Amino acid sequence: MGSLRRFRRSAVDAAFMGFCWLVTAVALIALGFILWSLATQGIGALDLKAFTLPTAPSGSPGGLLNAIVGSVITCAIAMMIAAIVGVLAGTWLAEYGGDTLYAKLIRFLNDILLSAPSVLVGLFVYNILVAHVIGRFSAIAGSVALALIAVPIITRTTEDVLKLQPTSLRESGVALGAPHWTTIRKILWRSAGSGILTGGLLAFARISGETAPLLFTALGNQYFSVGLHQPYFFGLGQPIAALPLVIFQYAMSPYDDWQHLAWAGALIIAIAVLGTNVLARIVTRERRPS
Amino acid sequence: MAAAQPISQSRSPPRGAAIDPLFKAACLAAATALLAALAGIVVSLAIGGWPALSKFGFGFFVSATWDPVRGVFGGLGPIAGTLISSLLALLFSLPIAFGVAVFLVEFCPMLLRRPIGIAVELLAGIPSIVYGMWGLFVLAPFFATAIEVPIMGAAPQGSLWEQLTTGVPNGANVLTASLVLAIMILPYMAAVLRELFLTVPAQLRESGYGMGSTAFEVVTKITLPYVRRSAVGAVMLGLGRALGETMAVTFIIGNSHDVPTSIFASGSTIASTIANEFNEATSPMHSAALIALGLVLFIITFTVLAIARALLAERQV
Amino acid sequence: MTAVETSEPVTEIAETYEHYAAEVPADRVKLHVRDLDFYYGKHKALHGVTLPVVDRGVTALIGPSGCGKSTLLRAMNRIYGLYPEQRAEGEIMLDGEDILERRVDVATLRSRVGMVFQKPTPFPMSIYDNVAFGVRLYEGLSRPDMDARVEEALRKAALWDEVKDKLRQSGLGLSGGQQQRLCVARGIAVRPEILLLDEPASALDPLSTRKLEETIVELKRDYTIVIVTHNLQQATRVSDNTAFMYLGRLIEFAPTSELFSAPKTKRTADYIGGRFG
Repeated sequence: MGSLRRFRRSAVDAAFMGFCWLVTAVALIALGFILWSLATQGIGALDLKAFTLPTAPSGSPGGLLNAIVGSVITCAIAMMIAAIVGVLAGTWLAEYGGDTLYAKLIRFLNDILLSAPSVLVGLFVYNILVAHVIGRFSAIAGSVALALIAVPIITRTTEDVLKLQPTSLRESGVALGAPHWTTIRKILWRSAGSGILTGGLLAFARISGETAPLLFTALGNQYFSVGLHQPYFFGLGQPIAALPLVIFQYAMSPYDDWQHLAWAGALIIAIAVLGTNVLARIVTRERRPS
Repeated sequence: MAAAQPISQSRSPPRGAAIDPLFKAACLAAATALLAALAGIVVSLAIGGWPALSKFGFGFFVSATWDPVRGVFGGLGPIAGTLISSLLALLFSLPIAFGVAVFLVEFCPMLLRRPIGIAVELLAGIPSIVYGMWGLFVLAPFFATAIEVPIMGAAPQGSLWEQLTTGVPNGANVLTASLVLAIMILPYMAAVLRELFLTVPAQLRESGYGMGSTAFEVVTKITLPYVRRSAVGAVMLGLGRALGETMAVTFIIGNSHDVPTSIFASGSTIASTIANEFNEATSPMHSAALIALGLVLFIITFTVLAIARALLAERQV
Repeated sequence: MTAVETSEPVTEIAETYEHYAAEVPADRVKLHVRDLDFYYGKHKALHGVTLPVVDRGVTALIGPSGCGKSTLLRAMNRIYGLYPEQRAEGEIMLDGEDILERRVDVATLRSRVGMVFQKPTPFPMSIYDNVAFGVRLYEGLSRPDMDARVEEALRKAALWDEVKDKLRQSGLGLSGGQQQRLCVARGIAVRPEILLLDEPASALDPLSTRKLEETIVELKRDYTIVIVTHNLQQATRVSDNTAFMYLGRLIEFAPTSELFSAPKTKRTADYIGGRFG
């Protein structure tokens, strides 16, 4: 009797273990296969032309340069906005808001925005900036949309990392007679520096791959649109090309050359995102020993 | 050594003291910006979608007729598609994500634990457009030739089987979109579940093993009960992400406004519909209908995310 | 004999606590705590504490855990003000002014009453910048003047010889004992009048502790020092006056030699004799 039960228990256990091994293998193989497809298709299309020529109609020699430049510009502007708003908001939550009802509300809303559908963020920015304030699709609108996606990430990491700082550090600054903000700026921010940087890197990795928010804000552009002589504030007030947008357009098209370039673009984005994530991990690990 | 004289007893306030309240105000403004952004999203969606909602009323949610030419818009297709594809995606990926998480915590050889764990976390960061493209160029053709054609071909004329498998055999349907979505949220769910399982105190698990429990019993009787509420929260977080996904599904869901009635039917999600149609909206009512759909999506995801957060709050993941 | 009187209720009405406080001439008092009550939310942590702190001397606060000695110390520079649920009632007179009054600028107060914490907390910056940090807040010194001030502070903290060649290096790279002396240097660089030390040696090894104690004895020539310590021998080594506290009350205050050799209250005698604590 006892041995039958024991046999059944170990059979179930063996089946369970087998299941876990199996699904992990399946999952890793499937994901590996996707990356492998990306790599082979992408590398095949990745040549000098992709990096040196702007987008062109199918049949003409073309590349992704203006899209890459556009993505870099929109992401850079977005990060600048998001870094300021995010770090200040996270600082408020950690240093001033504490446990008040308002702080709890902000934390809640921050978490919602963190996982909100990015297409809706795009719609919102469209309604405000494209339909009204600026009046046209623009790089600025695209950057603002991306910034809205990046801010919650930075706010969350900043708050978490500031809360980890020992209270005695905060008190030491204040005990010397320093104003609260000097203590925050010169001591706490510096001490939490690598953590805040990690948050920024993670946010950048996230927004560099986002497509939906740009659909109704940056719109896309066949040409280089930013420069000293461009209209509308150095071109920032007009539609701008972006890599995810080009990939979207090219992948859905029936043209072979465009589809190849789409793979190349996807590979570039994947490398940028993975690289940034790896960098964020390295920065975090540097912090551990101290 | 001569006694150091303290500076005059009444000192002026320290440098930067005047800026203190300004800095605090700036921080508060930044925090309030989050509130403003979220409120702004809701308000702009409500205002923008109001024309469609007031014109079609409740019918907007139960009618699948989407006719831009005649100006009639019913959102049932995308709404149903969103829910069906997300739930299917969850159904497909949850057992696998669970298995991967358990594997990493219980069975994985120690040397492989960190590399695989890191790999899973990195994979969670791959942008959805990559999955979308893979779905379009690799999965869809394979699915069409290896699964759809044989199954559809084998269905006898006029049978229920045929009814349940009608569709264009090009691999662009709700099922394949759900599969891509499932693969996309898989690493994320696995990573979150793994972190949750790791919060179970080592002594608890070890005492289970110490009593002679099998791994299956430790997982089902110790780990899962310990993280039960947070695990549900984590699953809902995954669901929330799936609901809002755009690029992973837009490529291969088929873009039909009909409610899917067969397993190979084309469909659409709210996100894919907005992405595909917004810039080419043919009339103000068309735009309003799309924005109204956006409002519906927002309400659904807000609810799911709020519940998820409440469940996860204890664990603070 | 059993140790602590474990079942003793902490009521205020029925209990009277034995109390003895030696007299201190008024002209020698730098800081005077008068009838101080302290609250953490609803919990009353200090009950009517009256304590004179002698100018240019070391006053030690001793007592078992939870007796309120750190609370009392932290009232003296109003650092409790960071936490809204903590409040103090009573008076603390510093040179004729009650520092607990709302209109007193706390930042300036803290430049006159410095504090060193239990755990060394070097700022994430160079050793030089650590010491100069407080000075830069209040004075606009030229480079040579600042160099001199930094050196003066580091010498007084008995750290100069060990760091004079690496002033630009991060303060985080020092050993625990050195970091703590860096915090002392940082505190005295602003030339405060009073230094509050909250169990400054409890995280240090015996050698560093000894060095720190020597520094304290040197410092008392120029500064008024109040030190909280768990270590009774340390109190006898460095302090001039000692205050024994129990359950938020000042039980006995006397010159250190008197208190330790001939305590006037039974509870003090019990604590010193190791019968509880």
